Amino acid sequence: MNDVFLPDIACLEKVRDETPDTKTFTLRFRDHENGNQFHFLPGQFLELSVFGCGEAPFCIASSPTRPGALETTVRRTGQLTDQLHKLGNGDEVGIRGPFGNGFDVQAARGKDMLFVAGGIGLPPLRSLIWNVLDERDRFGKVTILYGARTPADLVYKDELEAWGKRSDVELLVTVDVAEAYWTGNVGVVPILFQKVTLHPESTLAYVCGPPIMIRFVVRDLLTRGFKEESVISTLERMMQCGIGKCNHCAIGHRYVCRDGPVFNYHQIAELVE
Amino acid sequence: MVFTLPREGTTQWLAKLLEAGEVVAPVRGPCGDVIFSTLRSPAQVVWDFENPLHPPKQFVLPQTDPLVKIKLNGQRHEVEPLHDDAPRTLFNVRSCDVAGIAFLTRMHEAEPADASYLRRVQNLTIISLACNTPCPPGFCTCTDSGPFLSGGYDLQLTDLGGSFLVEVGSEKGEAAMAKAPDLFRKADENEVTQRKALEAAAKTHFGPETCHFGSAMRRISTGRVQDELWEKMADWCLECGGCNFVCPTCYCFNVKDLRQNGTWIRCRTWDSCQYAAFTLEASGHNPRAQRKERMKRRFFHKVSAQYYSRDNMVGCVGCGRCIKTCLGTTHMPAVVAAIRKGKWHE
Repeated sequence: MNDVFLPDIACLEKVRDETPDTKTFTLRFRDHENGNQFHFLPGQFLELSVFGCGEAPFCIASSPTRPGALETTVRRTGQLTDQLHKLGNGDEVGIRGPFGNGFDVQAARGKDMLFVAGGIGLPPLRSLIWNVLDERDRFGKVTILYGARTPADLVYKDELEAWGKRSDVELLVTVDVAEAYWTGNVGVVPILFQKVTLHPESTLAYVCGPPIMIRFVVRDLLTRGFKEESVISTLERMMQCGIGKCNHCAIGHRYVCRDGPVFNYHQIAELVE
Repeated sequence: MVFTLPREGTTQWLAKLLEAGEVVAPVRGPCGDVIFSTLRSPAQVVWDFENPLHPPKQFVLPQTDPLVKIKLNGQRHEVEPLHDDAPRTLFNVRSCDVAGIAFLTRMHEAEPADASYLRRVQNLTIISLACNTPCPPGFCTCTDSGPFLSGGYDLQLTDLGGSFLVEVGSEKGEAAMAKAPDLFRKADENEVTQRKALEAAAKTHFGPETCHFGSAMRRISTGRVQDELWEKMADWCLECGGCNFVCPTCYCFNVKDLRQNGTWIRCRTWDSCQYAAFTLEASGHNPRAQRKERMKRRFFHKVSAQYYSRDNMVGCVGCGRCIKTCLGTTHMPAVVAAIRKGKWHE
């Protein structure tokens, strides 16, 4: 019997500002043995402790193809994230996990990959994106469509630039509200569909973002001929335990923490509150 | 094996059990009501009582359950798991509450098994007292969890008047008897017959509450309960969470860090699925913002076939505590009846 609530200790190795309210934290296990035993899939998540404040679930934003340190990107939006944002290099946090099912990377081999993200929805997909790019020859066409409220709200600005330069990646970025210096696309994420050529029969679409964005993007994808099974998203719910016990994330008899957080749209349509 | 314990022997037996560890039993509280509490002396135990409003759940799943101790040594955090391995006996608990603990144990055993809970239960001996007279709001015949049990206990006592019939359900039960072996003798056929008669008689003395889960389960599991009905019932719910806290099978929890003597204790604390903040996310998004949605969730978890096939029982042991505590009448039998009839009582 394991002590399922006992966290491992990790140290913050680097804290990077992404947007005015979002930071990326690089974590390394204090006990390297724990780090070596930590294997995860893109799409899985951590229960991250800020000691004295409690713990909360965050997706792993780094790729399993780059083992060693873990990255997670967090927006400051509540008590725990507020405290987390006050921590800096060398500070300690707790880690439990990895939890959840994650993306089925094996099954995606040979497919065209379409990533559609809104705002803070890019971090969970980033883990898969880097996994795909690190094994680039195993996948077909890679298209990334990303939107945020304003240019300042775009996360991973350096990486967006790098992906944009790659010839084996098609990246389109849009913002809802432009600022004077912005020369790119303006409008919500679905407008980007008009600018790319999609092959629904050979493509898996990964969608993550605010609920309203997901709704419109999924509707668009289905009308464009995507099968429900080929539209994959990762759900977000209030969670406490991460192991299917506390019931906060239950939808019907399914648990987002254990049966998800990754579901295809066919499965999502069958979930009943 | 079935034994007999003379009534006057109970004091001596309880004294022996108290020597071996904590004994929790129904006692009369300071205001005269009966509550489950840690026993100080055998004389405190009450033998003829209506089941306390709070089940003995708190002794296996405390309202604030310490899980991990977090200490800061200079800049270094040290974490250690907290275990409650104290030997404990639940004495004179009713059949429904034994079934409630069995439900909680099955849920905590499910992968990944929860050591914090299971260690407590491994050191727990359950000595139940069968209900010769069912309590007024009880409907345990509908949930197959009383008035007498056929398993789940370590020992089951039946009050035969001058003596108690003692049914052994496990090795832990045998060990509890072995604390005072001279007090017990093998039961004779007459006493066993008397117990059977008492069980048959008890079944005829139930109050008016019934709970026909079958058709309600069919409707709940297939989403065939009208939204308007949930809405109507939710109008009567006061969102107090009382039904959850007095329910022997409710276990939803939060995880919180509490400050204690210069350290942090990470605790599991009871929560209620009827509270609006139960599903509220930090972003402000709340997938169950409406009361009717939360009520639907509660009864889906308790009554649906999906959960029934996972837990092998409905999430109800027929104790009737939600009837006693609910000011809005949205308790289990009323809601199940409304779902079955497609109509709220008003």
